[in-house]
Amino acid sequence: MSRSLAGWRIALVALAVVLFAWLVLAPWPQGFEAVFGRKKVFLNAVLNGITLGGLYFLVASGFTLIFGLMRNVNLAHGSLYLVGGYVAYETVEATGSWLLSFVAAFLVTAFLGLLLQWFIFRRMEGQDLRQTLVTIGISIVAADVMLWLWGGGFYQIAAPAALGGATQLPLISSVKSNGDTVWLTYPIVRLVIFAASVVLGVAMWLVLNRTRLGMMVRAGVDDRDMLSAIAVRVPILFMLVFAFGAGLAGVAGVVGGTFQSLAPGEDSRFLLVSLIVVIVGGMGSIPGAALGALIIGLAEQLGSVYAPTYAVALTFLIMVAVLAFRPQGLMGRA
Amino acid sequence: MTDIPVPAPAAAAAPSASGLPAWLSAVHPAWWILGFLLLFMPAMAGDFVLVQIFGWSFILGMIALSLMFLGGYGGMVSLAQMTIAALAGYMAAVFGTSSVAEISLGLPWWIAVPIALSIATLFGVVVGALAVRTAGIYTIMITLAISAAFFYFALQNYEIFNGQRGFNGIRAPVAFGVDWRAPVPFYYLTLALAAASYLFVVYVGRAPFGLALQGIRDNARRMAAIGYNVTAHRIAAYAVASFIAGVAGILLTWQNGQISPGTAGIPAVIDILVIAVVGGLGHPIGPFLGALLYALLRTFALDVFSAFGFESTRFNLLVGVAFLVVVLASPDGLVGLWRRWRDRRRPAAKPSGGHR
Amino acid sequence: MSSVAERLSATGTANALELRGITRLFGALAALTDVTISVRPGERRAVLGSNGAGKTTLFNCITGDFLPTSGTIRFFGEDITSFPPHERIRRGLRRTYQISLLFKGLTVVDNVYLACRGVSRGRFSLLRPRRGDAIRAAAESLVEAVHLTGVRDRLVGELAYGQQRQLEIALALAGAPRFVLFDEPAAGLSPTERSELVEILTALPRHIGYVIIEHDMDVALRVVESVTMMHNGRIFKEGAPQEIEDDPEVQDLYLGGGHG
Ligand SMILES: Nc1ncnc2c1ncn2[C@@H]1O[C@H](COP(=O)(O)OP(=O)(O)OP(=O)(O)O)[C@@H](O)[C@H]1O
Ligand SMILES: [Mg+2]
Repeated sequence: MSRSLAGWRIALVALAVVLFAWLVLAPWPQGFEAVFGRKKVFLNAVLNGITLGGLYFLVASGFTLIFGLMRNVNLAHGSLYLVGGYVAYETVEATGSWLLSFVAAFLVTAFLGLLLQWFIFRRMEGQDLRQTLVTIGISIVAADVMLWLWGGGFYQIAAPAALGGATQLPLISSVKSNGDTVWLTYPIVRLVIFAASVVLGVAMWLVLNRTRLGMMVRAGVDDRDMLSAIAVRVPILFMLVFAFGAGLAGVAGVVGGTFQSLAPGEDSRFLLVSLIVVIVGGMGSIPGAALGALIIGLAEQLGSVYAPTYAVALTFLIMVAVLAFRPQGLMGRA
Repeated sequence: MTDIPVPAPAAAAAPSASGLPAWLSAVHPAWWILGFLLLFMPAMAGDFVLVQIFGWSFILGMIALSLMFLGGYGGMVSLAQMTIAALAGYMAAVFGTSSVAEISLGLPWWIAVPIALSIATLFGVVVGALAVRTAGIYTIMITLAISAAFFYFALQNYEIFNGQRGFNGIRAPVAFGVDWRAPVPFYYLTLALAAASYLFVVYVGRAPFGLALQGIRDNARRMAAIGYNVTAHRIAAYAVASFIAGVAGILLTWQNGQISPGTAGIPAVIDILVIAVVGGLGHPIGPFLGALLYALLRTFALDVFSAFGFESTRFNLLVGVAFLVVVLASPDGLVGLWRRWRDRRRPAAKPSGGHR
Repeated sequence: MSSVAERLSATGTANALELRGITRLFGALAALTDVTISVRPGERRAVLGSNGAGKTTLFNCITGDFLPTSGTIRFFGEDITSFPPHERIRRGLRRTYQISLLFKGLTVVDNVYLACRGVSRGRFSLLRPRRGDAIRAAAESLVEAVHLTGVRDRLVGELAYGQQRQLEIALALAGAPRFVLFDEPAAGLSPTERSELVEILTALPRHIGYVIIEHDMDVALRVVESVTMMHNGRIFKEGAPQEIEDDPEVQDLYLGGGHG
């Protein structure tokens, strides 16, 4: 019985994939466009959703990595994001180099992560509520300090000119009445950033699943005692992972500051994004973070195009549905 | 979550001593003094202090108390309590009267208030049902996510929540011949409801429901192994806590005369946690202590700050640092601080009363 | 036809505990493989086996702390295989834990009171127990029965180890148990405490059956009438205490291994 159920599931997923592929690839018939709006709008929403998902993945993967290994809930993760963004902004202002700003943001936030792990989490091993409270306190303080330093205005990080334009994608936007095909154009910078987050995600997955370091990290996720048996210097491993996860938040801040903007409040917004993404995807799972980020990014963008007032509700409903039917998250283990 | 400060068993008001005189004599003299002070406060303090300091502390204290009930007794730290309070306030505005006549239904208060409370409690039950599916530290994350979703939803929804502007012109009713929006009656209203919810939480702490909740906090698996349906118990705790938060939410709306998404914004949600933790989750009085401290700071810190030449906007820095100091130095808050001080003065006087 | 059999088995003639083909996997590890046991009402049995034999896992499956991967469990004829733990407890099943699971922030008497309340009505009551409350009285007498009256108002977290073990037993005897699972109740106890334990066990009313996991043969064989040996997640021998003790295979495997 469960076999035929699985069969149905596969069939349904396959159907959805085919339908989606058709929606994206084929030119939309006239009547169809009359009902659902222009295909260009749809394509843009999908691409925006996917690239936004890339950004969300960057933020959430650091969060889920730290949680997965150390069971540390770092509610100052959003603050690290915003710090990274501001540091990158200052770097670009001072040096004009966008790429350098990534390095600067990563180093600064990774260092802050080290401090957090060294002074806070290491001393409160196993006291998860206290850790959480402390990081909330830190995020309150950090938000006010950043408001002090950078004010309440909006900042946007300038992308290099080479990435400024748009490019033509091999996706049909529409077919003109004279038979000409119009191809979709899309901002290069978003594509580059998305590609980068995919590369990063794959790299993380490879490191976690194919290297000795990754084996130790995964062992830590499964069984803390076993970890202390094979990894001699657990504290150092923890510090490295924490620094890397924090650094990812900083890098995400650069990305977010480039194709969105930086302002007070973005810290809690991205903390929230991380929470929802990992709740949907599954705590501590990198592929789960990727899936969750993609779903939430798409839901937000498609929602804001087709049901603007309910875009938030849609995200929320997805989370509720996951919690109700699969509390451990889509890719989480029971 | 093993690190939640545990409420000390209220020095077991011996079941044999249930006669009224014994019950009365069990009340510590300090409580009598506090009671008289609060009762005669209107003779001593002006309207501003009555409503803006005390009324507000009582209301915030009740919301934080609902968190203490879930966290201190039940081991579930919920960040949804401010949201539930705000929902009750919104519903009071929607079903009662406000200056947004297109949405408000204008029902009399004795219909609107029960409806608002029912909806808030129901919402709390749903939140609880979602949050208790997973255990421990997930509760904070899930309830935080739910609160934020509510905030954004209220911000974007115009049909029910009237978007960014929310509702204003919501007033406490005139009922039983008293105008409850006048400062002194409103003070007594908030005092009475705060005292009632405080006494309720203290009382229930030693009733089967409250004891079972503390058992679940200490060891949920064992509770199941002695016959309790842990999930049902947790959800019921959410219902009780949400009712308290709902009452406070309506009072808050009456006090401010308005409600808008900001009432349930992330900073407000976090503030309730700060209040409860700074006051102490170890005893129902903690949230009220925290709330009083918070209201005093909120009201006077600006003056003090500018007197010393600081920018008045650095209030959050102060709150954040104070919160950090408390969490790092005394995880069980002011209540814990007081308990330790008392224990040091009377070393090993009573084995079970002195705790931690 | 089978319905007649089912109805028959649901009457008093049913076994207290009837496990059929219980298997429990933890990933690749089979903690239990095809375990089949039946225990008559009122029967007292020991489960012996080396560390990691699967004894505690067996208890966990019976009480529903986690579900078996396959197999069925009947309790007095009723199929309880997929019941949540509290439903099993309310039907008269009880257990103790190898590592005490107590309510450390509550007093001794409150711990026992919770256990008594857990198998009666009024679990959700918002009213404090009145003066002559029967459940309260039951808790008091249970506290006395396990010799904890002297510390009745102490927080459990402050108790000595032996006292915590006694409380562990009290929690399992609350209400009207029909069948109790004791997981190494004697582990870590002093000789005096051991004999107190034997006293408590032998003083239990005859209709209450139990299964006791016990490494100490002296304790085990004094309080049971049958023995099940487990090894590597399987049942390995069953019989009367004397048979098991004299069995050469058992002696090789278990008694020779430094125990007893
Ligand atoms: N929750 C669990 N997850 C994974 N493996 C488990 C779990 N519980 C038990 N095991 C494994 O199952 C096997 C049987 O364990 P069990 O605790 O049942 O043994 P036992 O007979 O009670 O041993 P002991 O005498 O040490 O108490 C062991 O190998 C143990 O590691
Ligand atoms: Mg065992």
